[in-house]
Amino acid sequence: MRGINLLSQAYTVISYHKHTLPNGLRVIIHEDESTPMVAVNVLYNVGARDESPDKTGFAHLFEHLMFGGSANIPDFDEPIQKAGGENNAFTNNDVTNFYDVLPAENLETALWLESDRMLSLNFSEQVLEVQRKVVLEEFNETCINQPYGDVWHHLADLAYKVHPYRWPTIGKVPKHVEDATIEDVRDFFYKFYRPNNAILVVAGNVKNDEAVCQVEKWFGEIPAGETQDRRLPQEPPQTKLQQRINEANVPVDALYMAFHTSSRMDESYYTTDLISDILGNGPSSRLYRGLLKEQRLVNSIDCYLTGSMDPGLLIVEGRPADGVSLEQLEEIIWTELDQLRNESLSPRELEKVKNKLESTHEFSESNILNKAMNLAFYELLGDIELVNEEINHYRRITAEGIQQTARKILTRENCSTLYYRAKQQEV
Amino acid sequence: MPNRSIQPPIHKITRLDLPEPRRHRLDNGIQVLENRLGTQDILKMEIIFRAGRPFELKQLAGRATATMLREGTQNRTAADIAETFDFYGGTFTIPVNLDVSNITLYCLSRHFESLLPVVADLITEPAFPERELQSFVDRSVKRLSVDLSRNDIIAYRAITENIFGSDHCYGYNSTPDTYLGLDRSMLTDHFQRAFTAANCSIVISGKTNDRTISLLNTYLGHRLPKGERIEANVGTVNRKAEKQHIDHPDKVQSAIRIGRQLFTRHHADYAGMYVLNTILGGYFGSRLMNNIREDKGYTYNIYSAMDPMVFDGYFYIGTEVGKDLANAAIDEIYSEIRRLQEEPVGTEELEMVRNYLMGNLLTMLDGPFNVADVIRTIETDGLKPDFFRSLTNTVSTISSEELQVLARKYLNESDMWEVVVG
Repeated sequence: MRGINLLSQAYTVISYHKHTLPNGLRVIIHEDESTPMVAVNVLYNVGARDESPDKTGFAHLFEHLMFGGSANIPDFDEPIQKAGGENNAFTNNDVTNFYDVLPAENLETALWLESDRMLSLNFSEQVLEVQRKVVLEEFNETCINQPYGDVWHHLADLAYKVHPYRWPTIGKVPKHVEDATIEDVRDFFYKFYRPNNAILVVAGNVKNDEAVCQVEKWFGEIPAGETQDRRLPQEPPQTKLQQRINEANVPVDALYMAFHTSSRMDESYYTTDLISDILGNGPSSRLYRGLLKEQRLVNSIDCYLTGSMDPGLLIVEGRPADGVSLEQLEEIIWTELDQLRNESLSPRELEKVKNKLESTHEFSESNILNKAMNLAFYELLGDIELVNEEINHYRRITAEGIQQTARKILTRENCSTLYYRAKQQEV
Repeated sequence: MPNRSIQPPIHKITRLDLPEPRRHRLDNGIQVLENRLGTQDILKMEIIFRAGRPFELKQLAGRATATMLREGTQNRTAADIAETFDFYGGTFTIPVNLDVSNITLYCLSRHFESLLPVVADLITEPAFPERELQSFVDRSVKRLSVDLSRNDIIAYRAITENIFGSDHCYGYNSTPDTYLGLDRSMLTDHFQRAFTAANCSIVISGKTNDRTISLLNTYLGHRLPKGERIEANVGTVNRKAEKQHIDHPDKVQSAIRIGRQLFTRHHADYAGMYVLNTILGGYFGSRLMNNIREDKGYTYNIYSAMDPMVFDGYFYIGTEVGKDLANAAIDEIYSEIRRLQEEPVGTEELEMVRNYLMGNLLTMLDGPFNVADVIRTIETDGLKPDFFRSLTNTVSTISSEELQVLARKYLNESDMWEVVVG
């Protein structure tokens, strides 16, 4: 096939207005007339990595409590539903992110609700008690009741020895969530849920001037908190292969390999991201095509990045086909990884992964909530212009760069391997 | 300082208009619905064949045929096909749908011309290689064994099989034996019967232009044979509801499903039940969520849903709760149902649900792909063009009394199948 340069084409630029309120709240407004909706996204710069090791799972439990009523509003959901909107939130290792999507005329209801819970929660014992139970059922449903549901507990613990990424967002053990007290809740709120520790994005069918006016009205009076100086223990470089075998009641064996990568802000993040695409994204990716379709050694295979802000992981996971052992599968995967280290990528393959990325980028910008979340996240990273610029970082990547990064990352010393074995069935 | 104790004034949505698609007819008779909308250089094409379960002669033939289309054609290997889609940043997918095979392409509009010929090959001259079929069967059997270790999946399979029966096109479940029984001739038969112009329609949306349509005519309007329109074979349902317990000893939670046969979107009570289902368990503020999660903390999630297909439909409630809480949760579910039957829904709650649903329906009109989903549903279900308008009318005007009548008519415990796994 002819070589064509698809990458010089124009792509959509996102424009935005940035403001900072006197209390430190960062406010981003994005005008988009093509939608009747507005998305309000409030990102708090706090995640599971900010928990103490004996109170894990707290950031996520806290996310639940944010829906249990605030200073002046007993119930968060009712007013937003009355305004024709929906809302939800997620917590990960780095951030806690809340969002509302509603008809644009009703923007003010979302600002009223979000500002009131930023002002103060109602700190109800009863809400805490119910949400502790709900989160424990979530723990059961996602980690214990699902086959392979506790894999992240094993992998995090295997790959990280000192950094708080060594426990998963849901918490290391249910006990930590059971033990949470209302005092913990209060401390956490006044420490982290302050305007100077948050980023507010309003994206949709709004005008900048009017939106800013409303934001100032509802958020302007919220007092700032103390500046948080995050000093997390950084993970020292891994020097030898980490291995673990876990036996459980699952129907088939599974293999997980985790490699330490750079932080999200490091230039090599982009190269590592492309490496994960080369290996596992799409039906023509190397692991899928080679191991699943051609050689039929696996029934499923995947490769992805954790994408965390502090140095993260590149994960390869696969389930072997009948008659293939975990040891054999591991060897085969090493063969593929070694090939990426030893041989240069063809120009066409490089172009392919870049094209795919460009396409994904364009599709993600067709959704108002996505845009709002992206703007908040890039502002948190410290460079909001990345929302438009990031694609250029990918465009600059060369085959040599990929090989260099592969040589650095895809090594035995840098790898943690988990064998997840199916217990032999008793007859 | 703003007054925080009262909600800012809200604007009600009173009217929603579904954009009218442009209609075209290709030379072989295929109808194309074009939904020219959106700001990004992207498009989505769905080529819809009457080729799902109601049109099968053998169980799973529909799913297997659709999945195997990308595994090679007369002139292209599976690897070439995959590489071409990836190279142009396109995504080729066939989302699960019981009624139709929905061949879907997402791509940048500027690459449509490069990818359409590949899609056309896949749906006109697939090779169905034996080796790939064998591999599909092996992987499906393995995936099934993983799925069957999950009690939520066991429960879902049991409730639909109970409601419709194991021979019914909406009731049967895949088993290792049905997969192992697939042979290539079943796929080629199914393909030849169903993948013809007479069974096909196309919905295309996003940044399209006149050339998009002429390309469709070049590649699909001439190459797909006309064929004959095939008839559905749905089967009858005449079953008495029962309660079932399936043991699953290792699990800490029980999966609960409670449900019954209901109806299609054509039914006169569909729109009313759409509202009633929302009140019971169709949104975060629903009665089931408020009672069983937010008040009692028994579960992380509980919901009710209506699942309307082209020829029939069902309603069900689902949740996963701690094993020792299963009976308490079931009691609460029935008590919420009885409350809907015995007491009219209050004005304030009904007002909230109306507003919530209108916002939700507005979201369905936000952006080209959301609009396309509505247009596709109207097309595949054979609904009247004013379906969306009459749904919004019902949402805006249905009364508490009418909802209570529906609850008494359709939510009786004696009509409900019940499955508890674990």
